[in-house]
Amino acid sequence: MTDTHCPYCALQCAMSLRGGVLGGDPVSAEPRAFPTNGGGMCQKGWTSVDVLRVTDRVTQPLRRTLSGGFEEVSWDEALDEIADRVRTITDEDGPDAIAVFGGGGLTNEKAYQLGKFARLALRTRNIDYNGRFCMSSAAAAANRSLGVDRGLPFPLTDLNDADVIVLFGSNIADTMPPAVQHLGPVRERGGLVVVDPRRSATARLTEDGAGEHVQLVPGTDLVLLLGLLHIAFAEGLVDAAYLATRVDGVDEVRRSVAEWWPERVAATTGVSETQLRRLTRTLANASPHRGGRGAFLLTGRGSEQHVDGTDTVTAVISLALAFGLVGAERGGYGAITGQGNGQGGREHGQKADQLPGYRMIADPAARAHVAAVWGVDPQVIPGPGVPAVELLMSLGQPEGPRALFVHGSNILVSSPDADVVRRRVEALDLVVVCDFVPSETAMLADFILPVTQWAEEEGTMTGLEGRVLRRRRAVEAPPGVRSELEVFAELARRLDAPGTWSIAPREVYDELRRASAGGRADYAGISYDRLDAGEALYWPCPDEAHPGTPRLFLDDFPTPSGRARMVPVRVVGPDDTLRSEAPVWLVTGRVLQHYQSGAQTRRVAKLNDSMPRAYVEIHPVLAGRIGIEGIEDIRITSKRGSMVAQARISADIRPDTVFVPFHFADEGMVNAVTNAATDPISGMPEFKVCAVQIARAQA
Amino acid sequence: MKVVVVGAGMVGNRFVDELGRLAPHIEIDLLGDESYEPYNRVMLTELIAGRIDLAGLTLSTPDSGRVRVRAGVEVLEIDRDRRLVMTPDGAFAYDLLVLATGARARVLAVPGLRDGLPRGAHVVRRLDDARDIAAATLNASRAVVIGAGPLGVEAACAMRHRGVAVTLIAATTLLNRDLDPAVSRVAADHAASLGITVVPGAQVASIGVRGGRVDAVHLDDGRCFPAEIIVMACGSAPDIGLAAAAGLDTNVGVIVGHDLRTPADPAVCAIGDCAETPAGVSGLVAPGWAQARALARSIAHDSEVDLPPIAGSAMRLKAVGMSVVTMGVRASNARLEDRVVSLADPREHRHVELVARGDTLVGVTCVGAPDLAAHLSTQFERPGMLPADPMHLLMGTAAMGVAESASPTSMPAATTVCRCNGVTKGDLVHAWDAGASTIEALAGATLATTGCGGCSKLVCGILEWLQASDPTDTSQAPDGARETSVPASSHGKRADDI
Repeated sequence: MTDTHCPYCALQCAMSLRGGVLGGDPVSAEPRAFPTNGGGMCQKGWTSVDVLRVTDRVTQPLRRTLSGGFEEVSWDEALDEIADRVRTITDEDGPDAIAVFGGGGLTNEKAYQLGKFARLALRTRNIDYNGRFCMSSAAAAANRSLGVDRGLPFPLTDLNDADVIVLFGSNIADTMPPAVQHLGPVRERGGLVVVDPRRSATARLTEDGAGEHVQLVPGTDLVLLLGLLHIAFAEGLVDAAYLATRVDGVDEVRRSVAEWWPERVAATTGVSETQLRRLTRTLANASPHRGGRGAFLLTGRGSEQHVDGTDTVTAVISLALAFGLVGAERGGYGAITGQGNGQGGREHGQKADQLPGYRMIADPAARAHVAAVWGVDPQVIPGPGVPAVELLMSLGQPEGPRALFVHGSNILVSSPDADVVRRRVEALDLVVVCDFVPSETAMLADFILPVTQWAEEEGTMTGLEGRVLRRRRAVEAPPGVRSELEVFAELARRLDAPGTWSIAPREVYDELRRASAGGRADYAGISYDRLDAGEALYWPCPDEAHPGTPRLFLDDFPTPSGRARMVPVRVVGPDDTLRSEAPVWLVTGRVLQHYQSGAQTRRVAKLNDSMPRAYVEIHPVLAGRIGIEGIEDIRITSKRGSMVAQARISADIRPDTVFVPFHFADEGMVNAVTNAATDPISGMPEFKVCAVQIARAQA
Repeated sequence: MKVVVVGAGMVGNRFVDELGRLAPHIEIDLLGDESYEPYNRVMLTELIAGRIDLAGLTLSTPDSGRVRVRAGVEVLEIDRDRRLVMTPDGAFAYDLLVLATGARARVLAVPGLRDGLPRGAHVVRRLDDARDIAAATLNASRAVVIGAGPLGVEAACAMRHRGVAVTLIAATTLLNRDLDPAVSRVAADHAASLGITVVPGAQVASIGVRGGRVDAVHLDDGRCFPAEIIVMACGSAPDIGLAAAAGLDTNVGVIVGHDLRTPADPAVCAIGDCAETPAGVSGLVAPGWAQARALARSIAHDSEVDLPPIAGSAMRLKAVGMSVVTMGVRASNARLEDRVVSLADPREHRHVELVARGDTLVGVTCVGAPDLAAHLSTQFERPGMLPADPMHLLMGTAAMGVAESASPTSMPAATTVCRCNGVTKGDLVHAWDAGASTIEALAGATLATTGCGGCSKLVCGILEWLQASDPTDTSQAPDGARETSVPASSHGKRADDI
């Protein structure tokens, strides 16, 4: 039996794998007692072992043929040719002509080594990853206001003690179901607030007196927050003592919200002034300074995936600061990380502007530290690259990259304005995709390199709380499959890269610890041995005697002043505008059965059978307007592209909005429609709102 | 380039804020005659009500080296020949002058008020007005508000909230510019329910003054209302004094073209309440802000002024205890082909009315219905979004859902019980029939309850129901004969329960 964690989301449910090649029998998964999942597991977890035996597993390197198909080649042949072509392109156009796209599902070891591979072996500045589509707005806001970005700066189980939890655009009942346990006590107290244009499964948890659903207009989260801040200041509900001692910038924010009076906010958000005032008072009364048991304000992608996503999260943090919640014994602000290693994946160098340990690549001291660990001259490390959307849109353009390495990501399905991304990838001279299934992106590659997955490898993941977890090997990988660490080492050797390139996860991790030492995300004291001994270790943990840091901000903030910073923000609104050709808002999200681009879950029969296609959730009134009465296909069109999926008529959605899950490819691919406009600070694309036309597909 | 802005109200301040961000090279002086930093004038009645304090009203000021905000500076004169603004603090030179002088509150021309305002008589225009009224409510028991437009109603509600007995004198009906008479009566009843005495159709003849203090309001029909506070909310007039003295064209306001510049002098612009554009004088903050932004952009980008059309005017009352929102067309000025749908609930002081024109919602009137008002505001003038039956708009966003049965007995077999693992009631019945007779066995067989555990109570309920419907046989040997795609019909009581 092997104790490990689920391969999917950031909750990282603890599970035990029985059997497997190492044990002899067919492998099966069952949940294990652990704080985040409380011994629970959703159907993705129960069926996760099926991903180990998908029928179209790639087990040999594949090379594109002239006729457009693939042929099996040996590893040496593939790696030699890739290295040759990289060298040619680099010689012709410089190292920045090679681009790398990583993923938030990679282990810390692979994420770390990928960043190093890009900088030292490929010598390119052009690396970014799909976490840009996930956590970048929350990260930018937390860094700006709190001095550090750790999704939840407290253990998830702290939620159990609070009076109020507000979820801003998060649907955890579908995205990480076992986490719903931690909402139980708050629901008993009537304190769950869910802000979502949809009555999602999570919003439904507020019913029957468990709390309140705030069904705002898509894209108006920031206005709503400024309204709540306005009322908090106007009605004198803020924690003045806390603000005076622990927060800078209060006066600027107070002034900036003076013009967002409740009636004005109501007209934009559709949330009445009565509800706004009630919400603010509920939050105030839950706050420690008024004798409450604490409140947690949590953001999800619904509030973050906007062109003003960073500012929206900033306003959430300001609200949490206003009530004295951040660093309080009970309560706080947190972002609910999405991908399995969405936290660790954003700390160790996959991000265009970062080096391991959450160091900034433009910071000379950070470069010197990391260069010393890597055994290179700091001059060797390239400067900052560009964020994901900008990188993808530049592929194959005259001044853009000519080659792309993809690791742990399915950009053809998961990127905004995905039809354009396909054309950009098609314009490249060389595409190398490391994956274990022939994903939509892999099918465009010149080389598909078959790599190990989840239960076939050792490593660490950092869950949504900043706690480092061990992923353990339970089964032998199929013959012909290699770990990405081996791929990096082999290519680095062929490209005459400096530094050492271990293929042992533990050695790579120990190097990561040294590289992160002294950084914001300091893993120096978190060893495999301590983790294997069962210690619960949250970063920062600067040495092996350090107990780790379950709760941040108790005494101060890692900012120059030691105080948190309230930052005034202004409302810009969605990039798209409603107009007669596009009178309906489109929002996207996830369903319980699928994960991300569906490359894994669409291959699991039990999951795919219960959710084989995308659908369009549409209000009966809106359906009536376009003549849809039952199960019919709807075509959704934006100025970027269109998609088709079945209508699902439901009063759970606003009558001015449609919802489509984003896990599907081909005609059901909603990202053909979504907007690639990005947040100017974080580079986050505006997945969560765009203006569309809808019509019966037959018409 | 040097820009001087006269008037640090909401529009003047917004203009400076926009221009300061868009054009960092421009030197700007913002001159305000009040001794406060720029503040949110729209909220003055909230200050009277005590729902906000001075700090909460104060706006962001783009004060920096190049942008200087000067409070308490009264402009004496504009010297257009030398392009100077004269003040007691000295002269300010400009390349471009922006007048944002706003408006002055109208004071009734009746006996008692002709020689300046006696003590106890107030208008609601400036911060000091609101602070004076708020202070006065501490020692007063009776107040009269003259004028029943939005400002008058807000002031009346604010003072009532402070515990003062308030009489509201309306020349015609309550909110008559915004509400048709029948709806106005609903709003008046609403005000009355708060303890405000509404006196419609009344003309003020004089203000009683004793010892330099007001003591009553006398109507021309002889009625008299004693009061220690009198608040006049009888409208305002653009403040055009400086412009007129400087020889600029004025009518009701300072006359400007589409480019917001005065025809006589392109170095002078006017925006906000003081400006009279070809579309007229606005008197509301939203059009003023639009002008501020358009002018700032045009200066920063050296382009034409692109003034967006102002959507149908909206009125959203900010009054403690009272909710009135109107937008666009109302029933009395709807066209013959428009659809007018209304909902009347007079006992609850509620009235909702909307006007649909073709595909679009062009009019909304909501009294006493804040949630619906907020929702309808988001649907107002949206193209092509009207439901086939406009009545649906009155039902809000929810209201159309079908109630789902949560009872283990009446729940259909296809109902999902465990979302985490996609387990239906039918699956549980199958498992029971296959021998799973405990909660653990059901969980093992179906995985129900093994995710978030939120369905545990329901699964227990279903188990109890299964046990109750099959009391003799808890060991449950499968007999293979039952139809289990729906709960078995051969199981006596259970079939009846479904």
